[in-house]
Amino acid sequence: MTPLYGFVQGDTLGLVVVVDERATIAEVVAMLVEAASMRVAPRPDLRLRWRDRVLDPDLTVAAAGLEALDRVDVIAAAGEG
Amino acid sequence: MLRRDDWLDLARKLDWTYSYVDERELFPEEISGRPWLPGEEWRDWDEPYRTGFAEYVTNQSAKEAAVHAVRDALGGIDDFARLDRSWLSAHKLHAATLPLAEFAAVIGNLRAGRFGRDSAWRQTAVLGALDELRHTQIPLLLMHELVRWDRQFDWTHRFLHSDDWVAIAARHLIDELLLASTPIEFAIATHFVFETGFTNLQFIGLAATAHGVGDRLFEKVVQSIQTDEARHAQIGTPVLQKVLAHDRELGQYLIDKWFWRSWHFFAVVTGFAMDYLTPLARRTASFKEFVEEWILEQFQRRCDELGLARPWYWDQFVAAVDTYHHMVYASAYTYRATVWFDLALPGPDERAWLAAKYPRSWPAIDPVWERLTERWREAGPDVEWYTHGVTPVAFCDLCQMVLCGGTPEHNTAEVVARDGRKYVFCSAPCRWIFEREPERYAAHEGIVQRILTGQAPANLVALLRRYFGLDEEVWGKDVTGGRYPWLRRRETP
Repeated sequence: MTPLYGFVQGDTLGLVVVVDERATIAEVVAMLVEAASMRVAPRPDLRLRWRDRVLDPDLTVAAAGLEALDRVDVIAAAGEG
Repeated sequence: MLRRDDWLDLARKLDWTYSYVDERELFPEEISGRPWLPGEEWRDWDEPYRTGFAEYVTNQSAKEAAVHAVRDALGGIDDFARLDRSWLSAHKLHAATLPLAEFAAVIGNLRAGRFGRDSAWRQTAVLGALDELRHTQIPLLLMHELVRWDRQFDWTHRFLHSDDWVAIAARHLIDELLLASTPIEFAIATHFVFETGFTNLQFIGLAATAHGVGDRLFEKVVQSIQTDEARHAQIGTPVLQKVLAHDRELGQYLIDKWFWRSWHFFAVVTGFAMDYLTPLARRTASFKEFVEEWILEQFQRRCDELGLARPWYWDQFVAAVDTYHHMVYASAYTYRATVWFDLALPGPDERAWLAAKYPRSWPAIDPVWERLTERWREAGPDVEWYTHGVTPVAFCDLCQMVLCGGTPEHNTAEVVARDGRKYVFCSAPCRWIFEREPERYAAHEGIVQRILTGQAPANLVALLRRYFGLDEEVWGKDVTGGRYPWLRRRETP
Protein backbone atom coordinates (compact mmCIF):
# COMPACT_ATOMS: atom_id res chain seq x y z
CA MET A 1 0.00 0.00 0.00
CA THR A 2 1.22 3.49 -0.88
CA PRO A 3 0.20 6.64 1.01
CA LEU A 4 -0.04 9.74 -1.19
CA TYR A 5 -0.61 13.42 -0.61
CA GLY A 6 -3.55 14.26 -2.86
CA PHE A 7 -4.88 17.63 -4.00
CA VAL A 8 -8.11 18.03 -5.92
CA GLN A 9 -8.36 21.13 -8.09
CA GLY A 10 -10.87 23.49 -6.48
CA ASP A 11 -10.37 22.04 -3.00
CA THR A 12 -9.09 23.87 0.06
CA LEU A 13 -6.70 21.35 1.58
CA GLY A 14 -4.41 18.39 0.99
CA LEU A 15 -5.58 14.84 1.75
CA VAL A 16 -3.84 11.56 2.47
CA VAL A 17 -5.00 8.48 0.61
CA VAL A 18 -3.52 5.03 0.90
CA VAL A 19 -3.68 3.21 -2.42
CA ASP A 20 -2.96 -0.32 -3.57
CA GLU A 21 0.05 -0.52 -5.90
CA ARG A 22 -2.18 -2.53 -8.29
CA ALA A 23 -4.85 0.18 -8.41
CA THR A 24 -5.10 2.14 -11.64
CA ILE A 25 -4.50 5.85 -11.85
CA ALA A 26 -8.19 6.24 -12.73
CA GLU A 27 -9.06 4.54 -9.43
CA VAL A 28 -6.74 6.88 -7.53
CA VAL A 29 -8.51 9.83 -9.17
CA ALA A 30 -11.89 8.41 -8.17
CA MET A 31 -10.74 7.88 -4.61
CA LEU A 32 -9.54 11.49 -4.28
CA VAL A 33 -12.64 12.91 -5.95
CA GLU A 34 -14.84 10.99 -3.52
CA ALA A 35 -12.71 12.11 -0.56
CA ALA A 36 -13.20 15.78 -1.54
CA SER A 37 -16.78 15.44 -2.76
CA MET A 38 -18.40 17.38 0.08
CA ARG A 39 -16.38 20.45 -0.97
CA VAL A 40 -15.81 19.96 -4.70
CA ALA A 41 -18.50 18.74 -7.08
CA PRO A 42 -17.24 15.80 -9.15
CA ARG A 43 -16.50 16.64 -12.78
CA PRO A 44 -15.97 14.40 -15.79
CA ASP A 45 -12.66 13.99 -17.54
CA LEU A 46 -10.26 14.40 -14.64
CA ARG A 47 -6.58 13.48 -14.75
CA LEU A 48 -3.80 12.82 -12.25
CA ARG A 49 -0.71 15.00 -12.38
CA TRP A 50 2.52 13.82 -10.78
CA ARG A 51 5.85 15.64 -11.02
CA ASP A 52 4.64 17.83 -13.90
CA ARG A 53 3.42 14.79 -15.87
CA VAL A 54 -0.17 13.83 -16.55
CA LEU A 55 -0.47 10.08 -15.97
CA ASP A 56 -2.20 7.57 -18.18
CA PRO A 57 -5.41 6.59 -16.33
CA ASP A 58 -4.92 2.92 -17.23
CA LEU A 59 -1.48 2.61 -15.65
CA THR A 60 -1.22 1.05 -12.22
CA VAL A 61 0.26 2.93 -9.31
CA ALA A 62 3.32 0.68 -9.41
CA ALA A 63 3.77 1.02 -13.17
CA ALA A 64 3.45 4.78 -13.00
CA GLY A 65 6.26 4.84 -10.42
CA LEU A 66 4.38 6.62 -7.64
CA GLU A 67 6.25 6.43 -4.35
CA ALA A 68 5.09 6.76 -0.77
CA LEU A 69 4.14 10.32 0.24
CA ASP A 70 4.50 11.76 -3.23
CA ARG A 71 2.28 14.67 -4.17
CA VAL A 72 -0.40 14.03 -6.78
CA ASP A 73 -2.94 16.50 -8.17
CA VAL A 74 -6.37 15.79 -9.61
CA ILE A 75 -6.86 18.31 -12.41
CA ALA A 76 -9.33 18.94 -15.18
CA ALA A 77 -8.21 17.57 -18.54
CA ALA A 78 -8.19 21.13 -19.89
CA GLY A 79 -5.63 22.01 -17.19
CA GLU A 80 -3.08 19.47 -18.41
CA GLY A 81 0.47 20.45 -19.20
CA MET B 1 13.00 62.07 50.16
CA LEU B 2 14.38 61.19 46.74
CA ARG B 3 12.12 61.60 43.78
CA ARG B 4 11.12 58.44 41.91
CA ASP B 5 13.51 58.88 39.00
CA ASP B 6 16.39 59.61 41.36
CA TRP B 7 16.21 56.23 43.05
CA LEU B 8 14.57 53.96 40.49
CA ASP B 9 17.68 52.96 38.60
CA LEU B 10 19.60 52.26 41.80
CA ALA B 11 17.50 49.10 41.96
CA ARG B 12 16.43 48.64 38.39
CA LYS B 13 19.86 48.99 36.78
CA LEU B 14 21.72 47.00 39.39
CA ASP B 15 24.26 44.82 37.63
CA TRP B 16 26.92 43.24 39.77
CA THR B 17 30.57 43.00 38.81
CA TYR B 18 31.18 39.26 38.77
CA SER B 19 34.32 38.05 40.50
CA TYR B 20 33.67 34.39 41.39
CA VAL B 21 32.47 33.25 38.00
CA ASP B 22 33.14 34.25 34.44
CA GLU B 23 30.33 36.18 32.73
CA ARG B 24 30.12 33.51 30.04
CA GLU B 25 29.43 30.92 32.73
CA LEU B 26 26.81 33.11 34.34
CA PHE B 27 25.07 33.85 31.04
CA PRO B 28 25.92 30.89 28.77
CA GLU B 29 25.29 31.59 25.11
CA GLU B 30 23.13 28.48 24.68
CA ILE B 31 20.72 29.81 27.33
CA SER B 32 21.10 33.60 27.13
CA GLY B 33 21.21 33.59 23.35
CA ARG B 34 23.29 35.00 20.55
CA PRO B 35 24.95 37.21 19.69
CA TRP B 36 26.81 36.80 22.94
CA LEU B 37 28.07 40.24 23.96
CA PRO B 38 29.99 41.38 27.04
CA GLY B 39 27.79 42.84 29.75
CA GLU B 40 28.90 46.42 29.14
CA GLU B 41 27.43 46.23 25.64
CA TRP B 42 23.99 45.87 27.25
CA ARG B 43 24.34 48.61 29.88
CA ASP B 44 22.42 51.18 27.85
CA TRP B 45 19.43 48.80 27.53
CA ASP B 46 16.21 50.50 28.54
CA GLU B 47 12.48 50.52 27.91
CA PRO B 48 10.02 53.39 28.34
CA TYR B 49 7.67 52.09 31.06
CA ARG B 50 10.36 51.80 33.78
CA THR B 51 7.89 50.27 36.22
CA GLY B 52 8.91 49.53 39.79
CA PHE B 53 7.53 46.58 41.72
CA ALA B 54 5.42 48.66 44.12
CA GLU B 55 3.86 50.51 41.19
CA TYR B 56 3.22 47.22 39.46
CA VAL B 57 1.39 45.78 42.47
CA THR B 58 -0.76 48.89 42.82
CA ASN B 59 -1.68 49.00 39.13
CA GLN B 60 -2.37 45.28 38.82
CA SER B 61 -4.49 45.23 41.95
CA ALA B 62 -6.75 47.89 40.46
CA LYS B 63 -6.98 45.97 37.18
CA GLU B 64 -7.84 42.75 38.98
CA ALA B 65 -10.60 44.50 40.90
CA ALA B 66 -12.02 45.82 37.62
CA VAL B 67 -12.01 42.37 35.99
CA HIS B 68 -13.69 40.81 39.00
CA ALA B 69 -16.34 43.52 38.97
CA VAL B 70 -17.08 42.88 35.30
CA ARG B 71 -17.15 39.15 35.93
CA ASP B 72 -19.58 39.52 38.80
CA ALA B 73 -21.83 41.70 36.67
CA LEU B 74 -21.57 39.96 33.30
CA GLY B 75 -19.88 36.57 33.71
CA GLY B 76 -22.82 34.35 34.58
CA ILE B 77 -24.23 31.54 32.48
CA ASP B 78 -27.29 33.65 31.69
CA ASP B 79 -25.05 36.34 30.22
CA PHE B 80 -23.33 33.84 27.94
CA ALA B 81 -26.57 32.17 26.97
CA ARG B 82 -27.74 35.47 25.49
CA LEU B 83 -24.80 35.66 23.09
CA ASP B 84 -24.96 34.54 19.48
CA ARG B 85 -24.05 30.85 19.13
CA SER B 86 -21.45 31.49 16.45
CA TRP B 87 -19.79 34.08 18.62
CA LEU B 88 -19.70 31.57 21.49
CA SER B 89 -17.60 29.39 19.19
CA ALA B 90 -15.12 32.25 18.84
CA HIS B 91 -15.05 32.32 22.66
CA LYS B 92 -14.32 28.60 22.83
CA LEU B 93 -11.55 28.88 20.25
CA HIS B 94 -9.90 31.72 22.16
CA ALA B 95 -10.52 30.22 25.57
CA ALA B 96 -8.66 27.06 24.58
CA THR B 97 -5.75 28.62 22.74
CA LEU B 98 -5.08 31.39 25.28
CA PRO B 99 -4.55 30.41 28.93
CA LEU B 100 -2.03 27.58 28.85
CA ALA B 101 -0.12 29.31 26.07
CA GLU B 102 0.08 32.28 28.41
CA PHE B 103 1.42 29.96 31.07
CA ALA B 104 4.18 28.91 28.69
CA ALA B 105 4.90 32.63 28.32
CA VAL B 106 5.37 32.79 32.11
CA ILE B 107 8.26 30.37 31.69
CA GLY B 108 9.71 32.28 28.72
CA ASN B 109 9.64 35.50 30.71
CA LEU B 110 11.15 33.86 33.78
CA ARG B 111 14.03 32.57 31.66
CA ALA B 112 14.62 36.15 30.58
CA GLY B 113 14.25 37.20 34.21
CA ARG B 114 17.33 35.09 34.95
CA PHE B 115 19.30 35.00 31.70
CA GLY B 116 18.46 38.37 30.11
CA ARG B 117 21.64 40.35 29.79
CA ASP B 118 20.70 43.55 31.63
CA SER B 119 19.11 44.00 35.04
CA ALA B 120 16.37 46.34 33.76
CA TRP B 121 15.50 43.74 31.10
CA ARG B 122 15.42 41.05 33.75
CA GLN B 123 13.16 43.07 36.01
CA THR B 124 10.73 43.94 33.23
CA ALA B 125 10.68 40.26 32.26
CA VAL B 126 9.78 39.23 35.81
CA LEU B 127 6.85 41.63 35.71
CA GLY B 128 6.00 40.14 32.31
CA ALA B 129 5.94 36.67 33.91
CA LEU B 130 3.49 37.93 36.53
CA ASP B 131 1.41 39.43 33.72
CA GLU B 132 1.26 36.14 31.87
CA LEU B 133 0.30 34.27 35.01
CA ARG B 134 -2.64 36.65 35.27
CA HIS B 135 -3.52 35.96 31.63
CA THR B 136 -3.49 32.25 32.42
CA GLN B 137 -5.75 32.62 35.42
CA ILE B 138 -8.37 34.99 34.04
CA PRO B 139 -9.77 32.76 31.26
CA LEU B 140 -9.55 29.66 33.45
CA LEU B 141 -11.52 31.47 36.13
CA LEU B 142 -14.12 32.87 33.75
CA MET B 143 -14.67 29.72 31.71
CA HIS B 144 -14.74 27.31 34.64
CA GLU B 145 -18.21 28.51 35.56
CA LEU B 146 -19.43 27.62 32.07
CA VAL B 147 -18.25 24.01 31.94
CA ARG B 148 -21.38 22.69 33.64
CA TRP B 149 -23.49 24.55 31.04
CA ASP B 150 -21.50 23.55 27.95
CA ARG B 151 -18.77 20.90 28.04
CA GLN B 152 -16.98 22.42 25.05
CA PHE B 153 -15.73 25.08 27.51
CA ASP B 154 -13.86 22.31 29.33
CA TRP B 155 -11.33 22.54 26.51
CA THR B 156 -10.19 25.86 27.96
CA HIS B 157 -7.89 23.80 30.14
CA ARG B 158 -7.94 20.46 28.38
CA PHE B 159 -6.93 21.62 24.91
CA LEU B 160 -3.15 21.82 25.25
CA HIS B 161 -3.07 18.55 27.20
CA SER B 162 -4.74 16.74 24.30
CA ASP B 163 -3.36 15.28 21.06
CA ASP B 164 -6.00 17.00 18.99
CA TRP B 165 -4.41 18.18 15.73
CA VAL B 166 -4.94 21.85 16.60
CA ALA B 167 -3.25 21.27 19.94
CA ILE B 168 -0.30 19.58 18.23
CA ALA B 169 0.04 22.60 15.93
CA ALA B 170 -0.35 25.03 18.84
CA ARG B 171 2.23 23.20 20.95
CA HIS B 172 4.67 23.10 18.04
CA LEU B 173 4.47 26.88 17.89
CA ILE B 174 4.20 27.62 21.60
CA ASP B 175 6.91 25.22 22.72
CA GLU B 176 9.43 26.81 20.39
CA LEU B 177 8.25 30.39 20.83
CA LEU B 178 7.84 30.40 24.58
CA LEU B 179 9.55 27.39 26.13
CA ALA B 180 12.57 26.66 23.94
CA SER B 181 13.73 30.13 22.93
CA THR B 182 16.66 31.97 24.43
CA PRO B 183 15.78 35.33 26.00
CA ILE B 184 17.07 37.08 22.86
CA GLU B 185 14.94 35.04 20.45
CA PHE B 186 12.03 35.20 22.91
CA ALA B 187 12.26 39.00 23.06
CA ILE B 188 12.26 39.37 19.28
CA ALA B 189 9.77 36.60 18.51
CA THR B 190 7.32 37.08 21.35
CA HIS B 191 7.63 40.72 22.32
CA PHE B 192 8.45 42.36 19.01
CA VAL B 193 6.70 40.17 16.44
CA PHE B 194 3.90 38.33 18.25
CA GLU B 195 2.89 40.96 20.82
CA THR B 196 3.76 44.18 19.05
CA GLY B 197 3.12 43.08 15.49
CA PHE B 198 0.08 40.90 15.80
CA THR B 199 -1.80 41.11 19.07
CA ASN B 200 -3.38 44.44 18.20
CA LEU B 201 -5.51 42.33 15.89
CA GLN B 202 -6.89 40.77 19.04
CA PHE B 203 -6.77 43.59 21.52
CA ILE B 204 -8.10 46.32 19.31
CA GLY B 205 -9.77 44.58 16.37
CA LEU B 206 -11.41 41.73 18.21
CA ALA B 207 -12.20 43.87 21.25
CA ALA B 208 -14.12 46.22 18.92
CA THR B 209 -15.91 43.22 17.45
CA ALA B 210 -16.80 41.93 20.93
CA HIS B 211 -18.19 45.36 21.75
CA GLY B 212 -20.36 45.20 18.64
CA VAL B 213 -21.62 41.75 19.55
CA GLY B 214 -22.54 42.97 23.03
CA ASP B 215 -19.98 40.74 24.75
CA ARG B 216 -18.77 43.24 27.35
CA LEU B 217 -16.92 40.60 29.38
CA PHE B 218 -14.73 39.55 26.44
CA GLU B 219 -14.14 43.17 25.54
CA LYS B 220 -13.10 44.21 29.06
CA VAL B 221 -10.90 41.19 29.61
CA VAL B 222 -8.90 41.62 26.42
CA GLN B 223 -8.55 45.32 27.11
CA SER B 224 -7.25 44.57 30.59
CA ILE B 225 -4.78 42.06 29.20
CA GLN B 226 -3.73 44.54 26.52
CA THR B 227 -2.49 47.03 29.11
CA ASP B 228 -0.09 44.36 30.42
CA GLU B 229 1.03 43.37 26.95
CA ALA B 230 1.70 46.97 25.98
CA ARG B 231 4.16 47.24 28.87
CA HIS B 232 6.13 44.01 28.66
CA ALA B 233 6.18 44.04 24.84
CA GLN B 234 8.55 47.01 25.18
CA ILE B 235 11.32 44.51 25.91
CA GLY B 236 11.38 43.56 22.24
CA THR B 237 12.62 46.68 20.51
CA PRO B 238 15.76 47.40 22.58
CA VAL B 239 16.81 43.74 22.32
CA LEU B 240 16.22 43.74 18.58
CA GLN B 241 18.18 46.99 18.17
CA LYS B 242 21.15 45.47 19.98
CA VAL B 243 21.01 42.32 17.85
CA LEU B 244 20.76 44.36 14.65
CA ALA B 245 23.77 46.44 15.69
CA HIS B 246 25.94 43.32 16.06
CA ASP B 247 24.40 40.69 13.77
CA ARG B 248 21.96 42.19 11.31
CA GLU B 249 21.46 38.94 9.38
CA LEU B 250 20.40 37.12 12.56
CA GLY B 251 17.94 39.87 13.51
CA GLN B 252 16.39 39.85 10.06
CA TYR B 253 16.15 36.05 10.09
CA LEU B 254 14.35 36.00 13.43
CA ILE B 255 11.88 38.61 12.21
CA ASP B 256 11.24 36.70 8.98
CA LYS B 257 10.83 33.37 10.76
CA TRP B 258 8.54 34.53 13.53
CA PHE B 259 6.44 36.82 11.41
CA TRP B 260 5.39 33.85 9.26
CA ARG B 261 4.82 31.51 12.19
CA SER B 262 2.80 34.13 14.05
CA TRP B 263 0.77 34.91 10.94
CA HIS B 264 -0.51 31.36 10.67
CA PHE B 265 -1.61 31.39 14.31
CA PHE B 266 -3.52 34.66 14.07
CA ALA B 267 -5.01 33.87 10.67
CA VAL B 268 -6.87 31.01 12.32
CA VAL B 269 -7.63 32.37 15.78
CA THR B 270 -8.56 35.89 14.70
CA GLY B 271 -9.51 35.25 11.07
CA PHE B 272 -12.15 32.65 11.96
CA ALA B 273 -13.66 34.92 14.61
CA MET B 274 -13.84 38.06 12.50
CA ASP B 275 -14.96 36.71 9.13
CA TYR B 276 -17.08 33.69 10.07
CA LEU B 277 -18.06 33.53 13.74
CA THR B 278 -19.12 37.14 14.29
CA PRO B 279 -22.78 37.74 13.36
CA LEU B 280 -22.87 39.60 10.06
CA ALA B 281 -24.81 42.58 11.40
CA ARG B 282 -22.11 43.12 14.06
CA ARG B 283 -19.04 43.00 11.84
CA THR B 284 -17.17 46.29 11.76
CA ALA B 285 -14.43 45.33 9.30
CA SER B 286 -13.04 42.23 7.67
CA PHE B 287 -10.02 40.34 8.97
CA LYS B 288 -8.13 41.51 5.91
CA GLU B 289 -8.93 45.15 6.66
CA PHE B 290 -7.65 44.74 10.22
CA VAL B 291 -4.50 43.04 8.94
CA GLU B 292 -3.94 45.83 6.44
CA GLU B 293 -4.26 48.48 9.11
CA TRP B 294 -2.43 46.84 12.00
CA ILE B 295 0.18 44.73 10.26
CA LEU B 296 0.75 45.82 6.70
CA GLU B 297 0.91 49.48 7.69
CA GLN B 298 1.94 49.70 11.33
CA PHE B 299 4.28 46.74 11.71
CA GLN B 300 5.89 47.49 8.39
CA ARG B 301 6.46 51.11 9.44
CA ARG B 302 8.07 49.88 12.67
CA CYS B 303 10.39 47.63 10.68
CA ASP B 304 11.27 50.51 8.36
CA GLU B 305 12.22 52.64 11.36
CA LEU B 306 14.63 49.93 12.48
CA GLY B 307 16.11 49.54 9.00
CA LEU B 308 14.71 46.04 8.56
CA ALA B 309 13.87 44.74 5.11
CA ARG B 310 10.48 43.25 4.42
CA PRO B 311 10.51 39.48 4.84
CA TRP B 312 11.57 37.87 1.53
CA TYR B 313 8.15 36.22 1.19
CA TRP B 314 6.23 39.50 1.60
CA ASP B 315 4.32 39.11 -1.68
CA GLN B 316 3.24 35.60 -0.63
CA PHE B 317 2.13 36.96 2.73
CA VAL B 318 0.04 39.72 1.11
CA ALA B 319 -1.56 37.12 -1.16
CA ALA B 320 -2.20 34.83 1.81
CA VAL B 321 -4.09 37.58 3.66
CA ASP B 322 -6.70 37.18 0.92
CA THR B 323 -6.96 33.41 1.04
CA TYR B 324 -5.30 31.49 3.86
CA HIS B 325 -7.91 31.75 6.64
CA HIS B 326 -10.69 31.08 4.09
CA MET B 327 -8.93 27.88 2.98
CA VAL B 328 -8.45 26.75 6.58
CA TYR B 329 -11.99 27.64 7.65
CA ALA B 330 -13.64 25.75 4.80
CA SER B 331 -11.39 22.78 5.57
CA ALA B 332 -12.13 22.96 9.29
CA TYR B 333 -15.86 23.21 8.62
CA THR B 334 -15.75 19.94 6.74
CA TYR B 335 -13.69 18.35 9.54
CA ARG B 336 -15.51 20.10 12.38
CA ALA B 337 -15.80 16.95 14.50
CA THR B 338 -12.01 17.11 14.91
CA VAL B 339 -12.23 20.29 17.00
CA TRP B 340 -13.99 21.28 20.25
CA PHE B 341 -16.12 24.16 18.98
CA ASP B 342 -18.93 24.48 16.47
CA LEU B 343 -18.60 26.16 13.09
CA ALA B 344 -21.05 28.19 11.05
CA LEU B 345 -22.05 27.70 7.43
CA PRO B 346 -21.93 31.12 5.73
CA GLY B 347 -25.29 31.91 4.17
CA PRO B 348 -26.05 34.01 1.09
CA ASP B 349 -25.70 37.33 2.93
CA GLU B 350 -22.42 36.33 4.54
CA ARG B 351 -21.08 35.08 1.22
CA ALA B 352 -22.05 38.34 -0.46
CA TRP B 353 -20.23 40.25 2.31
CA LEU B 354 -17.15 38.05 1.91
CA ALA B 355 -17.27 38.48 -1.87
CA ALA B 356 -17.29 42.26 -1.43
CA LYS B 357 -14.45 42.19 1.11
CA TYR B 358 -12.33 39.68 -0.83
CA PRO B 359 -13.01 40.38 -4.51
CA ARG B 360 -9.78 38.75 -5.71
CA SER B 361 -9.96 35.47 -3.84
CA TRP B 362 -13.61 34.79 -3.04
CA PRO B 363 -14.70 33.65 -6.53
CA ALA B 364 -12.43 30.59 -6.12
CA ILE B 365 -13.61 29.88 -2.55
CA ASP B 366 -17.34 30.39 -3.01
CA PRO B 367 -17.99 27.18 -5.01
CA VAL B 368 -16.93 25.18 -1.95
CA TRP B 369 -19.71 26.82 0.09
CA GLU B 370 -22.17 26.39 -2.75
CA ARG B 371 -21.36 22.69 -2.77
CA LEU B 372 -21.74 22.40 1.01
CA THR B 373 -25.03 24.26 0.91
CA GLU B 374 -26.35 21.85 -1.70
CA ARG B 375 -25.23 18.89 0.38
CA TRP B 376 -27.07 20.27 3.43
CA ARG B 377 -30.19 20.75 1.28
CA GLU B 378 -30.00 17.16 0.07
CA ALA B 379 -29.45 15.69 3.51
CA GLY B 380 -31.62 17.87 5.74
CA PRO B 381 -30.96 19.05 9.29
CA ASP B 382 -28.69 17.16 11.68
CA VAL B 383 -27.13 14.93 9.01
CA GLU B 384 -23.68 16.24 9.87
CA TRP B 385 -21.66 13.54 8.15
CA TYR B 386 -22.94 14.31 4.65
CA THR B 387 -20.96 17.55 4.76
CA HIS B 388 -18.04 16.10 6.68
CA GLY B 389 -14.81 14.54 5.45
CA VAL B 390 -13.66 11.09 6.55
CA THR B 391 -10.37 10.82 4.65
CA PRO B 392 -7.26 11.72 6.68
CA VAL B 393 -5.89 15.15 5.90
CA ALA B 394 -2.27 16.15 5.47
CA PHE B 395 -0.37 18.48 7.79
CA CYS B 396 2.63 20.74 7.25
CA ASP B 397 5.84 19.42 8.81
CA LEU B 398 6.71 22.90 10.03
CA CYS B 399 3.55 24.65 11.22
CA GLN B 400 1.58 21.37 11.69
CA MET B 401 -1.44 23.05 10.14
CA VAL B 402 -3.58 21.55 7.40
CA LEU B 403 -2.08 22.00 3.91
CA CYS B 404 -4.11 25.09 3.01
CA GLY B 405 -1.50 27.30 1.35
CA GLY B 406 -2.23 29.04 -1.93
CA THR B 407 -5.63 28.89 -3.58
CA PRO B 408 -8.14 26.18 -4.53
CA GLU B 409 -6.65 26.27 -8.02
CA HIS B 410 -3.05 26.07 -6.87
CA ASN B 411 -2.17 24.61 -3.50
CA THR B 412 1.40 25.63 -2.60
CA ALA B 413 2.34 22.45 -0.70
CA GLU B 414 5.83 21.08 -1.38
CA VAL B 415 7.14 17.56 -0.68
CA VAL B 416 10.86 17.35 0.13
CA ALA B 417 12.97 14.21 0.66
CA ARG B 418 15.60 14.48 3.39
CA ASP B 419 17.66 11.82 5.18
CA GLY B 420 15.42 8.98 4.08
CA ARG B 421 12.16 10.66 5.08
CA LYS B 422 9.69 12.75 3.13
CA TYR B 423 8.52 16.03 4.56
CA VAL B 424 5.62 18.10 3.30
CA PHE B 425 5.29 21.85 3.77
CA CYS B 426 2.24 24.00 3.21
CA SER B 427 4.26 26.86 1.78
CA ALA B 428 7.71 27.99 0.70
CA PRO B 429 8.24 30.04 3.91
CA CYS B 430 7.45 27.01 6.10
CA ARG B 431 9.94 24.95 4.09
CA TRP B 432 12.52 27.73 4.37
CA ILE B 433 12.14 27.93 8.17
CA PHE B 434 12.51 24.15 8.45
CA GLU B 435 15.60 24.07 6.26
CA ARG B 436 17.32 26.85 8.21
CA GLU B 437 17.21 24.79 11.42
CA PRO B 438 16.39 21.18 10.47
CA GLU B 439 17.90 19.80 13.68
CA ARG B 440 15.21 21.69 15.55
CA TYR B 441 12.26 20.26 13.63
CA ALA B 442 13.16 17.06 11.78
CA ALA B 443 12.36 14.56 14.52
CA HIS B 444 8.82 15.81 15.10
CA GLU B 445 6.11 13.40 14.02
CA GLY B 446 2.89 14.87 12.72
CA ILE B 447 -0.50 13.17 12.73
CA VAL B 448 0.11 11.43 9.39
CA GLN B 449 3.37 9.87 10.61
CA ARG B 450 1.62 8.81 13.81
CA ILE B 451 -1.14 7.15 11.80
CA LEU B 452 1.26 5.48 9.36
CA THR B 453 3.38 4.11 12.21
CA GLY B 454 0.35 2.80 14.10
CA GLN B 455 0.58 5.28 16.99
CA ALA B 456 -2.78 6.81 16.07
CA PRO B 457 -5.81 5.14 14.46
CA ALA B 458 -6.55 5.82 10.79
CA ASN B 459 -10.31 5.54 11.22
CA LEU B 460 -11.67 9.04 11.79
CA VAL B 461 -14.12 8.25 14.58
CA ALA B 462 -11.52 6.17 16.41
CA LEU B 463 -9.02 9.00 15.93
CA LEU B 464 -11.45 11.49 17.43
CA ARG B 465 -12.40 9.35 20.39
CA ARG B 466 -9.18 7.57 21.26
CA TYR B 467 -6.49 10.00 20.15
CA PHE B 468 -7.96 13.52 20.13
CA GLY B 469 -9.99 12.92 23.30
CA LEU B 470 -13.29 14.12 21.85
CA ASP B 471 -16.71 12.55 22.18
CA GLU B 472 -19.97 13.14 20.39
CA GLU B 473 -21.24 15.68 22.89
CA VAL B 474 -18.11 17.80 22.65
CA TRP B 475 -16.86 17.49 19.10
CA GLY B 476 -17.67 20.33 16.73
CA LYS B 477 -20.87 20.44 14.71
CA ASP B 478 -22.62 22.99 12.57
CA VAL B 479 -23.80 25.71 14.98
CA THR B 480 -27.41 25.20 13.91
CA GLY B 481 -27.27 21.58 12.86
CA GLY B 482 -28.11 22.78 9.36
CA ARG B 483 -31.26 24.61 10.49
CA TYR B 484 -30.63 27.94 8.82
CA PRO B 485 -33.71 29.94 7.85
CA TRP B 486 -32.28 30.43 4.37
CA LEU B 487 -31.53 26.74 3.96
CA ARG B 488 -34.65 24.87 3.02
CA ARG B 489 -34.71 21.31 1.86
CA ARG B 490 -36.00 21.14 -1.69
CA GLU B 491 -39.41 19.51 -1.78
CA THR B 492 -39.75 16.47 -3.99
CA PRO B 493 -42.39 17.27 -6.65
